[in-house]
Amino acid sequence: MRVNPVGTVEVLTGSHSHGQGHETTFAQLVAGRLGIPIENVAIVHGDTDKVQMGMGTYGSRSGAVGMSAIVKALDKIEAKAKKVASFVLEAAEADIDFKDGKFSVKGTDKSVDFASVALQAYVAHKFTGEQLEPGLKEGAFYDPTNFTFPSGVHIAEVEIDPDTGVTTIAKWTAVDDFGVIINPMIVEGQVHGGIAQGIGQALLEGAVYDANGQLLTASYMDYTMPRADDLPSFRVDHTTTPCPSNPLGIKGCGEAGAIAAPAAVMNAVTDALGHENIAMPATPQAVWLAARASFAKAAE
Amino acid sequence: MYAFDFHRPATLRQANSLVGKLGDAKILAGGQTLLPTMKQRLASPSAVIDLSGVPELAGIEQKGRNLVIGAMTSHAEVATSALVTAALPGLAALAGGIGDPHVRHKGTIGGSIANNDPAADYPAGLLALGATIVTNRRKMPAAEFFTGMFSTALDEGEIITKVIVPIGAKFAYAKFRNPASRYAMVGVAVGKKGSSVVVAVTGAGSDGVFRWTEAEAALGKRFNAKSLDGITNPAAKDLNSDIHASAEYRSHLIGVMARRAVTGATAK
Ligand SMILES: Cc1cc2nc3c(=O)[nH]c(=O)nc-3n(C[C@H](O)[C@H](O)[C@H](O)COP(=O)(O)OP(=O)(O)OC[C@H]3O[C@@H](n4cnc5c(N)ncnc54)[C@H](O)[C@@H]3O)c2cc1C
Repeated sequence: MRVNPVGTVEVLTGSHSHGQGHETTFAQLVAGRLGIPIENVAIVHGDTDKVQMGMGTYGSRSGAVGMSAIVKALDKIEAKAKKVASFVLEAAEADIDFKDGKFSVKGTDKSVDFASVALQAYVAHKFTGEQLEPGLKEGAFYDPTNFTFPSGVHIAEVEIDPDTGVTTIAKWTAVDDFGVIINPMIVEGQVHGGIAQGIGQALLEGAVYDANGQLLTASYMDYTMPRADDLPSFRVDHTTTPCPSNPLGIKGCGEAGAIAAPAAVMNAVTDALGHENIAMPATPQAVWLAARASFAKAAE
Repeated sequence: MYAFDFHRPATLRQANSLVGKLGDAKILAGGQTLLPTMKQRLASPSAVIDLSGVPELAGIEQKGRNLVIGAMTSHAEVATSALVTAALPGLAALAGGIGDPHVRHKGTIGGSIANNDPAADYPAGLLALGATIVTNRRKMPAAEFFTGMFSTALDEGEIITKVIVPIGAKFAYAKFRNPASRYAMVGVAVGKKGSSVVVAVTGAGSDGVFRWTEAEAALGKRFNAKSLDGITNPAAKDLNSDIHASAEYRSHLIGVMARRAVTGATAK
């Protein structure tokens, strides 16, 4: 985490974003903690020239692990900045408070803002090199002490056309507990994408090979990706039980939809069919065949 | 893609003389089939003749008891045309159910029928409506035009100029979309004019669009979906089977789609 002399902040993170919105969520965390405008925070990821080590985004871990590392770095930045502020404000380090982007001396109206402290950290006019090493730049690594355990309930309501075997998702309701949520809109988007992926897995997607090992679903003319009109509008909500094993109380959210959706869809489909003799993807043909078996059973 | 010459005639006469002059030239309509084929190097014409600059091939008009649809008319234009929607709502719906918005805005009726893809929608619709295909050389009924999977009665250098569709028929098209490509996995068009009924099936036949004559006879007696209850669906042995649908499933879907088309044609 590099605080520039003008008070802007650059965060180099190993948690790469390929659409999960880290640039927003991570910046929100830093801006909120330091009391600076969000546009003063730059999140750098995926640039091997700048970021030494990164392993991408997977395992629903960028919030819980990546942001915990950012919190550790922020702790170090704040501690060092307090030292600088104590020289600027001519007070004991223990008497410096930091709140809303301002360092102040307890019980007085003396204060200095974050950007001024950043400048003083570099110009080093208020302290000597023996008293404090100039600069404001810290790094942190974080190894989680435990996994996070999100939980939730997804309810799929499906309609099956017995004539054709077509399954339509009539309604979708989901409540998840992701612990503390930094950006509700981004988290909701993650859930939407996950459900779409899960519905794709349950009803549409499947790699098919012929007897010679030739892939038959080699283009989107044959491989069915879920599309907007395959999906209903989702009703999603959340409860908040903070995670005990990381500083922000965050739990993973990225995979929740994709984990819940196939099970919810298939439970609904098998419930409608009256038996479990069907595999994913439950394509119209597979459902039609399974429904014929249901009718035959009902007729017995 | 290999190198080729590109021609963009401004009149039908210029287009005619170009196809006459250039040996293995290909006509380009919206490029929805031709360009992917060229990119995959399944076709490598030395010249491409783009018809998009020929005004005679564009547009839809009503002439007497017919709709006249220019060969270069896009599916989206047919789907949203006030003329088509008023005279043959089932045809507008057919065009509106082709592929996706991109395909509907680039793909054309001329390109679709010249290609005669066994899963295309227009061949069934035009057969059931008793349409006439007009080329730079002659006119022929749809029944003579579609000769089999990916084949038509078109000769070398023959250009489709328009399609004449009689109005006044009871008509509807019911399509079961291939979930991936959105072509017809099974599509059934039903047209009734006077006492004559045509039931045309696409997407299912191993040799392209075909007529289901048993259904036509039953519906000719009484034009109601229930009339199909007594007859057996086209036999699976004559139908396509692929990763999306077995021949048995297609046979079943023909019955379902035919009933839906009849119900659609009798509604309103
Ligand atoms: C993703 C996708 C989904 C599709 N889904 C459907 C669907 O659901 N239903 C459906 O019916 N179709 C579907 N299509 C086909 C599409 O509707 C086009 O009609 C078809 O691809 C032809 O395209 P085009 O009109 O651009 O013709 P082009 O690709 O330009 O030409 C096709 C062939 O016709 C010849 N040709 C074109 N115009 C003339 C003419 N006036 N006279 C003589 N020959 C001519 C060309 O030389 C070429 O051989 C789909 C296509 C794609 C790519």
